[in-house]
Amino acid sequence: MNRLNYQGLEDLELLAKIGDRDREALAALYDRYGRRVFALAVRILSDPVGSEEVTQDVFMSVWRRGATYTLNKGKFTTWLFSIAHNRTIDELRKRRRDRSRENTDIDDHLNIESTDVSPADAVVAQSEYDKVRSAMEHLPVEQKNVIELSYFRGLTQTEIATKTGQPLGTVKTRMRLALKKLRMALSAETGAQA
Amino acid sequence: MTESKDNIETNENIDPRFENLAGYVLGALDHAEQRSSVENHIEKFPDVQAEFEELSETVDLLALGVPPVSPPDHLKTNIMELARQESTPSQLQLLATAHGAMSRRSWWQRSFQSGYAVAAAAAALVIVVGGGMGYQNDQLSNDFNNLRVDLIAESTVVANLRSELSTTMMDSETKVASMKSEMDVMEDEFGATTEMVVHQEEVVSELAVANNALKQALRDQIWLTYVTSKEGYQVESWLADNTQQVTATKTAAYGLIAVRVVGNEAVFQAHGLDQPQSGFAYTLWLMGNGKPLPVAQFGVSEIGSATIAFIMPAPLQFYSSVMVTQERVNGLGSDPSGTMVIFAETN
Repeated sequence: MNRLNYQGLEDLELLAKIGDRDREALAALYDRYGRRVFALAVRILSDPVGSEEVTQDVFMSVWRRGATYTLNKGKFTTWLFSIAHNRTIDELRKRRRDRSRENTDIDDHLNIESTDVSPADAVVAQSEYDKVRSAMEHLPVEQKNVIELSYFRGLTQTEIATKTGQPLGTVKTRMRLALKKLRMALSAETGAQA
Repeated sequence: MTESKDNIETNENIDPRFENLAGYVLGALDHAEQRSSVENHIEKFPDVQAEFEELSETVDLLALGVPPVSPPDHLKTNIMELARQESTPSQLQLLATAHGAMSRRSWWQRSFQSGYAVAAAAAALVIVVGGGMGYQNDQLSNDFNNLRVDLIAESTVVANLRSELSTTMMDSETKVASMKSEMDVMEDEFGATTEMVVHQEEVVSELAVANNALKQALRDQIWLTYVTSKEGYQVESWLADNTQQVTATKTAAYGLIAVRVVGNEAVFQAHGLDQPQSGFAYTLWLMGNGKPLPVAQFGVSEIGSATIAFIMPAPLQFYSSVMVTQERVNGLGSDPSGTMVIFAETN
């Protein structure tokens, strides 16, 4: 009997198998995206232990809800990272309520050391990181800040307006502009990236 | 880098349908109502949906562009183990994770946590399956099959939990009974110990009294020895143990009289006397040819001894016998009327 090559399956094929309670499909999906989900959690939480819990919750959500995923929810990676981001931000806000991270400087999040990454993964990951980092660096400071404060710090639009002293409408506008500029910059570098 | 004028887009220029779209994909909206509104616009308007997809993909890239950090190896193992447990809800797994894993279970699994819920779900299952036959819906059928399998598993788990609970309760009752029994034994032992302590305290008290009496007797004996050796006394008459003469008391009392060689002073010492009755004292009588002559009245120490000095009315040889009786304290009477406790012939 030929053994199925899960690594060669598309995301949606793996999801279909997850719907059939195929754990090898989940393992393959974890191999494909686990590092990125974990890295995103570490980037936001700066806490490897808490990030493990978040990553575990994310993939257990995929295990439970994978069968319900449809293309109407957007690309699979959009859906996956949306789950990961929401779960991580929930954890971050919970901690913020506990005032455990009140005084953490924004830049602390940008200087996390790369650790324990295979050379091949490191090349790919570093390349992606460098591209996004470069695109971010080319944003005006104010736009970069709203991305940082919202996506990586979990602040809402109103909270950002309060923190930066800017009108709420300006914050909303900067968010939209920043994302559009990032898209253009990254599209120019990666072509059909993502 | 700062914003140029070209980059500044005022709020008035934004189509309201797009106003919160970026905040939505960044997870930065303040209220659930805002999110619902955005989702409504995405669903209704293709241009909003198109921008939503663009912005979402950009946000995906933000996620991909974080500094690379590899998760620990055990994380994958943990996830796969959790997935395995949720695939096969064995009794052992459910018992071991009943508390911690509740939040990881789907709503219909959580709803089956009680026997009532199982019964209710079973009833619902029958109804829904009956209706579902008409639809011939494969997906629905699969769901029902899964539900049925899970229901059976849950029922087994509930039954086992009940059995475990029953056993635990019986064990607890047995343990409580055993602890009560042990407590009774401890109370008995404590009571016995308390009695022993009280008894020992009484013994100590009695010993203290006896000690004091012995000290007094010793002082009396020393005094008697002194007066007989230094002051010219000599023991003229020993009073023998008079148990055989005593009928009203079991005390084996005895005593002696020491009489001064020159003069009429004498000392009487007695031992083994009980405490006299209230209002009574012991009376020493000398008996010659006439009626008994009372010479002294005395009490006794805690150990039943007494030493008294008295004046002999006549030389001792005029008296044939000596006795001690209990008499009322009101002075010396003319005739003995109380209980005799010592009687002896003089030598």
